[in-house]
Amino acid sequence: MAKTYSITLKIHRYNPEEDRSWIQDYHMEAGRILRFVDLFHKINDEQDSTLAWNSSCEHGQCGTCSVIVNGKPLLACELLVENAVHRFRTTTFIIEPLDVAPVIRDLMVDMEKAYEKVNQVKPYIIEPAPLPVERDVYPITPNELELYVNATRCINCFCCASACISSHKSFLGPNAMLAAIVRVMDPREQEKEERFKVLYSDQGVYRCHSTQACTFVCPKEIDVAHFIALAKEGAIKL
Amino acid sequence: MNRIFKKGPDFYCDLLIIGTGGAGLRCATEVLEKRPETSVMALTKVSHPQKSHTSTAQGGLAVVDPRDPVDKNIFHMFDTWKGSDCTADQNIIKKIIESSWEQILWLENRGMHFSRDIEGKLSKRTFGGHTLNFGESLAYRAVFEADRTGKGIMDTTWGEALKRGIRFLTQSIATELLFTGNQCVGSVVFKQKEGEFIRILSKATIIATGGCGQVFKVTTNCRQNTGDGLALALQAGLPVMDPEAVQFHPTGIVGPGILASEALRSEGGVLRNKDLKPFMERYAPKMKDLAPRDLVSRAIETEIRQGRGVLNPDHGIYHVWIDLRHLSEYVLDMKLGEISHFFNKFVNINPKEELCPVCPSNHYHMGGIPTTEFGEVQNGSQDTVPGLFAIGECAAASFHGFNRLAANSILELITMGKFAGERVLEYLKEAPAETSKAEGEHTLSLFSGYLEAQGRDSLGRIREAMQTMMTGKAGVFRTEAGLLEAVEGLKELKDRAAKTALSTRGLIMNQELVRRWELDNLLTVSMVIACAALNRRESRGAHYREDFPERKNEYNYHTLTTMEESGRIEFGKRPVDMSILEAGGGHAQKFGMIKREY
Repeated sequence: MAKTYSITLKIHRYNPEEDRSWIQDYHMEAGRILRFVDLFHKINDEQDSTLAWNSSCEHGQCGTCSVIVNGKPLLACELLVENAVHRFRTTTFIIEPLDVAPVIRDLMVDMEKAYEKVNQVKPYIIEPAPLPVERDVYPITPNELELYVNATRCINCFCCASACISSHKSFLGPNAMLAAIVRVMDPREQEKEERFKVLYSDQGVYRCHSTQACTFVCPKEIDVAHFIALAKEGAIKL
Repeated sequence: MNRIFKKGPDFYCDLLIIGTGGAGLRCATEVLEKRPETSVMALTKVSHPQKSHTSTAQGGLAVVDPRDPVDKNIFHMFDTWKGSDCTADQNIIKKIIESSWEQILWLENRGMHFSRDIEGKLSKRTFGGHTLNFGESLAYRAVFEADRTGKGIMDTTWGEALKRGIRFLTQSIATELLFTGNQCVGSVVFKQKEGEFIRILSKATIIATGGCGQVFKVTTNCRQNTGDGLALALQAGLPVMDPEAVQFHPTGIVGPGILASEALRSEGGVLRNKDLKPFMERYAPKMKDLAPRDLVSRAIETEIRQGRGVLNPDHGIYHVWIDLRHLSEYVLDMKLGEISHFFNKFVNINPKEELCPVCPSNHYHMGGIPTTEFGEVQNGSQDTVPGLFAIGECAAASFHGFNRLAANSILELITMGKFAGERVLEYLKEAPAETSKAEGEHTLSLFSGYLEAQGRDSLGRIREAMQTMMTGKAGVFRTEAGLLEAVEGLKELKDRAAKTALSTRGLIMNQELVRRWELDNLLTVSMVIACAALNRRESRGAHYREDFPERKNEYNYHTLTTMEESGRIEFGKRPVDMSILEAGGGHAQKFGMIKREY
C-alpha cells in the first residue's frame, strides 16, 4: 500500500451574496507527493464543488495560488502533503486567503486591487536611455546585471506583502519596492528622480521594519530585505 | 428564462483583445505606441495579465543576429520548414524570421533583462533542430532570460501596455463573438468579479487566448488553457485549422507535468522501464535516449502500453524512470540545477539517489484559428472576416506546421502580435462604427442551461474521463478504432455534462460555473482534434497514426474543421504556401517536400 496521510483542511470561506464567513473542515486521505493545489482540485471533484480558489501555471512560475497555511503565506502549488506534515508538525491545516486585498469569494482575493500598489511605482522603463553609437542593444555586462538580476525574478505572488509587519495601508509593500529598485539599478532607465520620490516617500522603503519576513517567505528565494536595505542606505545608484 | 442574469451597460472601444499573454499585449503595445489615442481593452480569465501562460516559457527565443558571422536567416527558415514536416506556410516562415531580430531589440530596448555575455551582448544557447548550413552542425541561435524567458516577455509587454494606458478587465471571459453582417463588432463578456454579463462593442477584436492543453491528462500547460478561443471561433461558425497537430514532450514530471528538459538526456540521463532496463536502444539503436521528441514519446508510451510502466499511486499516472544517479555532482548541481530542483520540489525526489518519474506530457498545439500573415481570421472559404484577428497559440498562420521547433513559439507570439497590431491600425482608419443588435442570446441560453441543469454527475469526473480518453486514443498514438471510440465517448460525455447540476447558485466569482463553461470548450476542442486525426489517414509531424505510419503527398494540405453543431464536423482544405520554393534561387530546393530525418 502506498503511504497516505489523513489530513484535515480547515478552509476560510466567504459567500459574497450572503456576506457570510465561516470555516469549513475537509477530511481526506492524501498521497505523500500531492500538492495543496491537487487537494483543492480533489475537494472540488469529490467533496464540494462550491469551494472557490485560484491558480494558473501550478508550477511556481506565476504566483496566482498564494494562500496562508497555518499562518504562513506560500504558493499552494509548491507545498507537498508530506513536506507540509513535516514542516508544520501536524496533519491539520488552516487555510486562509491572502490578506493583501479584499476577498471576493472563499480563497479568491481581488488581485487587481493588490496590484494597484505595484502600478504606482510604474513597473516599466519611464524614460529609456539612448543607445550608445553603433550598438543596437544596451551594453550591460554580466557583473552589472548580477547586482540586480535577482530582484527581476519577482512574480508578484504577494506572499512578502502578506508577511510584512508594516501596515498594508501605509506601505506600498516589498514587491512594489523591488519593482522600483530594479528600474533604479537598470542602466537603461534615465528617469531616476521620479523613482526616488516614490521609494523615499512616506509609503516607501522607510516604512520597512527590517524584520526580513519578506525574504523568509519568498517562494522564489529572493533576498527582498537585502534590496530594501540597499535602497534605505542609498546604495542602489549604480 | 434570462431574468436570472444581471446585465451591465455596454462598453465601447476601438480594439478589444481577448487574452493578455505575450501575443495579445505585444499587439496592444504596437497599436498604442503608433496611435496613442486608441482605446484598447484587454480581457483576461486569470487574476492579472502577469499570470498568463506565456510567463512559464523557460528556454529562449530563436533569432539570428544580422551580424552573426556563421548563422543566417535562411538556415533558421530551413530548420523551421523541416521541423514542421513540410506543412508550415513558407510566406509566414519568411516574414516572421526576417522580422525576428528587430523584435528582440524591441523587447531589449524596453527593459527585458536578457542574459549577457562578457561584452554585454545577448548570450545565446542551442536547441534541438536548430542547425547551421542546412543541418550540418548545431546553431547557437536562442537568446534567453536565464530560465524565465517567457516571464521577461510578459513583464515587458505588460509594463509597456500599462504605461500607454491600456484598460484591463481581469477575471473575465468572452462567451460569444458579436457580428453585424459578416463584420465582427465585439464580444459578450462575463465579468466574474461582478457576476454580470456585458457587451463590449469594438471596431476590431483579437482572439489571443492561448492553448488547450487541459484536453489531456498530463500537460505542461497552465490550468487555464482550456481552448476557450477555439471554441469561441467554432461557435461563430469559423474554422479551426490542423487541430490534429498536437505536440507531446517525452519527459514531463509525473503529476504537475513540468518539463524535464532534453538536457537531462544530453548530459547522460538514461530512460528505464519498470524492470529498470534501459529501453531506448530497442527503438533507436543509434541515437538511443537522444532520439527526436516524438520518437522518444512513442517509445515511452509503448513501454507503458506493454505493461512495463510504473503506476504513481498519488497521481494515478503510469510512467517510466529517468536515471540520473550516475551523473556527477557537478553536472547535477551546476548544469542541471534548475531541473534537479524541480524533482526535489514537486515530487520530493533527490535525483542523486533516486530514480525520477517521467511520462509524455502534452506541450503545444500547432493547430488553431486560421489566419493570414497579418493575423486576420479566415472563414471556411478562406476569406478574411472583417474586424476579427487571432494571434498566439490559439491561432495558426501557420509558422509551425505539424511540429514546432523549440524556441520558436515565443518568437511567434511577439512577431505575429506586432504584425496584427500594424494591420489593426490600418483597419481602424476605415472601420465602420461598432454597433450591434445582437444581445448575446446564445450566451444567455447557454448559461441558463448550465444553471438550470438537473442531475448528480460531477464536472470533475467528466473532465477526468475526457482527459484519460483523449490521452489514450488521440494522444501520442492514434488508430482508426481508437479515434472512433473517442468520438463516441465524447458525445456521451457531452450528454453527461448536460445532466450535471451546479451547486454554487450566486454568480459572483462562481468558479463552478466557469469550470462548466470550460468543460464545454474542452469537449468541443477534443471533438475537432479527434475527428481531424481520424480524417488524416497518414502520419505527419506530431500526428502519428499507427495504422498509417508514413507521410503521404495526397495529404499535403492544412485541415480546416468547422462544427455547426456538436459532433457534426465538416472538413475543408487550405493549401500549404510554398513561396520560397516557388521563388527559385540558390537554396529553393531545400524547401521542397523533404524528409524529416535527423
